[in-house]
Amino acid sequence: MSGLNSRAIAAGLVLAVLALIVLAPMAGLLNLSGIPGYEPGDLRFWQSAYIRRVLFFSFWQALLSTLCSVLPAILVARAFALLPDFPLRGLLLRLFALPLVVPAVVAVMGVVSVYGSGGWIPLGRSLYGLNGILLAHVFFNLPLAVRLLLPQWQTIPQHHWQLGEQLGMNAWQRWRFLEWPAVREALPGVLLLVFMLCLTSFAVVLTLGGGPKSTTLEVAIYQSLRFDFDPAQAVVLALLQLSICTLVAILTLKLQRLPEVEITLTSDLKPVTIRQNSLNIMLILVAGVFVGMPLLSMLIDAFAGPLWQVIGNTTLWQSIGNTLFIGLSAAVFSVGAGWFLLQYSASLSLTGKTGKARLLDLAGSIVYVVPPLVIGSGMFVLLSPHVDVFAWVYPIVITINALMGLPFVIRSLGPALRQNHARYHYLCQSLSLQGWNRFRYLEWPLLRRPLGLAAALATALAMGDLGVIALFGTPHTATLPLLIYQQLGAYMIPQATVTALLLLLLSLTVFWGLERVIGGKADA
Amino acid sequence: MHKVFRLFSSTALALLLSFAVQAATPTLVIYTYDSFTSEWGPGPLVKAAFEAQCACNLELVGLEDGVSMLNRLKLEGSNSRADLLLGIDTSLTAEARASGLFAPHRLTMKKSSLPEPWQDDLFLPYDYGYFAFVYNKERLGSPPSSLRQLVEDEQGPSILVQDPRTSTPGLGLLLWVKKVFGDESDQAWARLSKRIVTVSKGWSEAYGLFLKGEADMVLSYTTSPAYHLIAEQDARFAAARFSEGHYQQIEVAGMVRSSQQQQLARDFLEFMLSDNFQSIIPTTNWMYPATLARSELPAGFEQLIEPSPALLLDEQLVASKRKAWVEDWLEVMSQ
Amino acid sequence: MLEIDRLEFGYANGKAPTMQFNLSVEAGEIMSLIGPSGSGKSTLLNLIAGFLAPRAGQILLDGIPIGTECVTSRPVSIVFQQHNLFPHLDLYTNVALGIDPSLHLNREQTAAVSEALDQLGLSDLQRRKPGELSGGQRQRVALARVLVRKRKILLLDEAFAALGPALRAELIGLVRNLVRDNNMLALLVSHQPRDALLASARTAFICAGKVIALEKTGDLLDHSQLPEVRDYLGSI
Repeated sequence: MSGLNSRAIAAGLVLAVLALIVLAPMAGLLNLSGIPGYEPGDLRFWQSAYIRRVLFFSFWQALLSTLCSVLPAILVARAFALLPDFPLRGLLLRLFALPLVVPAVVAVMGVVSVYGSGGWIPLGRSLYGLNGILLAHVFFNLPLAVRLLLPQWQTIPQHHWQLGEQLGMNAWQRWRFLEWPAVREALPGVLLLVFMLCLTSFAVVLTLGGGPKSTTLEVAIYQSLRFDFDPAQAVVLALLQLSICTLVAILTLKLQRLPEVEITLTSDLKPVTIRQNSLNIMLILVAGVFVGMPLLSMLIDAFAGPLWQVIGNTTLWQSIGNTLFIGLSAAVFSVGAGWFLLQYSASLSLTGKTGKARLLDLAGSIVYVVPPLVIGSGMFVLLSPHVDVFAWVYPIVITINALMGLPFVIRSLGPALRQNHARYHYLCQSLSLQGWNRFRYLEWPLLRRPLGLAAALATALAMGDLGVIALFGTPHTATLPLLIYQQLGAYMIPQATVTALLLLLLSLTVFWGLERVIGGKADA
Repeated sequence: MHKVFRLFSSTALALLLSFAVQAATPTLVIYTYDSFTSEWGPGPLVKAAFEAQCACNLELVGLEDGVSMLNRLKLEGSNSRADLLLGIDTSLTAEARASGLFAPHRLTMKKSSLPEPWQDDLFLPYDYGYFAFVYNKERLGSPPSSLRQLVEDEQGPSILVQDPRTSTPGLGLLLWVKKVFGDESDQAWARLSKRIVTVSKGWSEAYGLFLKGEADMVLSYTTSPAYHLIAEQDARFAAARFSEGHYQQIEVAGMVRSSQQQQLARDFLEFMLSDNFQSIIPTTNWMYPATLARSELPAGFEQLIEPSPALLLDEQLVASKRKAWVEDWLEVMSQ
Repeated sequence: MLEIDRLEFGYANGKAPTMQFNLSVEAGEIMSLIGPSGSGKSTLLNLIAGFLAPRAGQILLDGIPIGTECVTSRPVSIVFQQHNLFPHLDLYTNVALGIDPSLHLNREQTAAVSEALDQLGLSDLQRRKPGELSGGQRQRVALARVLVRKRKILLLDEAFAALGPALRAELIGLVRNLVRDNNMLALLVSHQPRDALLASARTAFICAGKVIALEKTGDLLDHSQLPEVRDYLGSI
């Protein structure tokens, strides 16, 4: 029982920190009567027609984007799973990690390069509207969803495939009885994550949306806090966004079935080679091309630019260092926090308290939708009377980025950790295998791969972050995304594309490195 | 062990000494925007020039843009480290004034190249520019010659603009249209919207899309072609001259009331108005310096269009009506 | 009768020596296969089931070659040590899958499923999920599925290894009845000589990919002269 208690304490601590980071700044912003020139606005604005329209559009574009990203992702992940020997498979999957890293503004340029008037598949002006938003969102999220869903196929025992063959199942029945139960476990989480990403997507919606018809709640929050300087309004809108997401999260997580595994002694998870299927090959190729095109155009643009001039610049290398530092530090905290939350959640579901387990998952995931602008500004309000905020830039940026990375950690590490726990917990208890030893002998070897993915995702995300770092005036330090943004703002667009390429390459390397070092050699 | 101790103590001594040195020289903290502090912006040169004459340490803090700067200052209140704010424009000065956070500078501008004489006891201008629609001469042979023509010509060029809720040029265009069309602004926008390819979040996105060829014209500054001409030796870009005049953006700096370095701050403002500072501006900030005459600008600037009249709305009017005007704009554009 | 005639198998990397199997099993018989780990016992079962393709040789059932058939059409049912059941489906459905994976059963077939569950003592549990059952009960369900499939050949790949001796004996008894009543034949791979004694008149000893002994169970276990057999039996 002491095992459960220590888990509970660890998880409780993490939750407390989360709540503090999210709620305290908001409270700080609400309590601003002492600010000169501040006149509180009418808080019932949220009933206005404008906000209603904004709410509807936010929700609608997020929903559509999610469906358009995740449903095809299921098919593509399946194609990857059923073709373990496909050449370039490893490379393509690495490629799929990239869209996450690219700062939104650069990605928008990439999408425009491909689908704009001068692009390879010109859509002309119809690009700017829901089409553009969907294209960009699918570019960002389909690869992510594929990577998060693919491991589920690894959880299908080889004997099931064999039985399926012997019983004469056709492809649909194989899906129904073998694959869908495995996918179903991760799917609601992935749907939720992608929904949150699309809901809070700012630059994409605003720039590719074509006009104010495409306004999301994030824009309204941004407007309230910056142009109108009405922090109370911003907080109320942020809470509104949080509530919507919580509702959606509760709905989707309700659909999630936690694994009903046979408690077994061994785990035979060798991949199964199914006969080559041309449809699956097509799917993989189409997905690869779709994701690759904007990336390729960025590559081409970059090579056309002043490559050596940018590389020879010392600020660039400083930025690279800072970016790495922030990325890795944030990842450490993200993965750590996620680990403790998930451990406790797994214990809870094992003892039948699935409701609480889901709540825990929810808490860890939902923090993503609180806009960093709100958190950042709130932190300012709270901290600046007491400390020199500029000296605290790194801890603050790292903390907020760790927060943003948490849902990704939960999605990528969660299913495997839960399954592992369900399979081996009783065994461990009977052997008194706990704590460090348990980690070293059981969890590390079996959970290395999802841990690697989680760490890589969290790092990549933090490395590509622009929103948080831009808030905090840093006298000396810049990160790569900030550098890109500065270059873009100074007419130096060719230089910006080169820097963006460097960011991509750096992230790719780090992603690959982390997956390799933590996750071990990939065997499929 | 000895080695380690020696290393440690010498490091400690060095640190102590550097702190002492730092403590001896006063530090002037200026909040400004990102592109000012970046290495290709005015920041590094300004820092070097000022530190050479002031026996002090200049710290430039780069915040996202003018709006962020002001908000930051408001949030920090009298606890702020900032001694000066540099980079808000005239659409924000009313708000800044109302905050009560700024101190009178008690300086006079000896010379000014601004279209109108400058009168403001809290803020001093350091550069200015005019909003304009920039186009590629090879792509657009005959640009519209007035704002009215741009609005009314159904077959007119496609344009990229920014959102007034999130971007200063976006707000600038809104005010420009308001100044030219007055009560007919809504209809003007309705007609103009047919030619708008997209409304982007900020200047960077719109300009980037323009360079990719997504539209014929983009809302930017009259000085944008100077960058391409001087830094890239690219003469293809020009700004369209509108007969009604162009809306101005004047960027100013102000002293923070709670500053501990009032005299040093004042010194900086004087420096800011001097040729030393002003000559840095044209090819780093790509705007017109506030005190230098046109003849004193680098080669290439003479090719830029010279708008006349220079339009500007009263700052109090802007402050009181902005929200309502943006809402009207939203209504029209959301049809 | 099942004939395995010079059935050859080698892994693609060519490192392990080629396996070659020769044996025959009579109708109504349960033959046990014992031998050290990695000797090829499960490989042989996989070859018979069709999960692996042989390099050479034949598999004949009553004189008819079945080695060229696809997995679905082979007259084979297999029971693994675990993962025989789909955990999210109830017992009834798990068994019904044995008749038709589309689960469109006519009245006769439905009755057959109920009867099979009945025979194996699982009627009151038919709406439960495998997760709620014990290991022994789960293997029974697998056997119920074998029953409804009515295929001639039954392969048991360490099917009872995870169960205690009493349960094992019970299930082997069930298998014997199954094989006898339905005129099937079975191959039982096991690590327990005891199982061989209970289940089989004849036992084959497989070592390094070859059947090196095929005798009466008692003789093989107690009186074998082969050093490999004695080493193996001595070590377990």
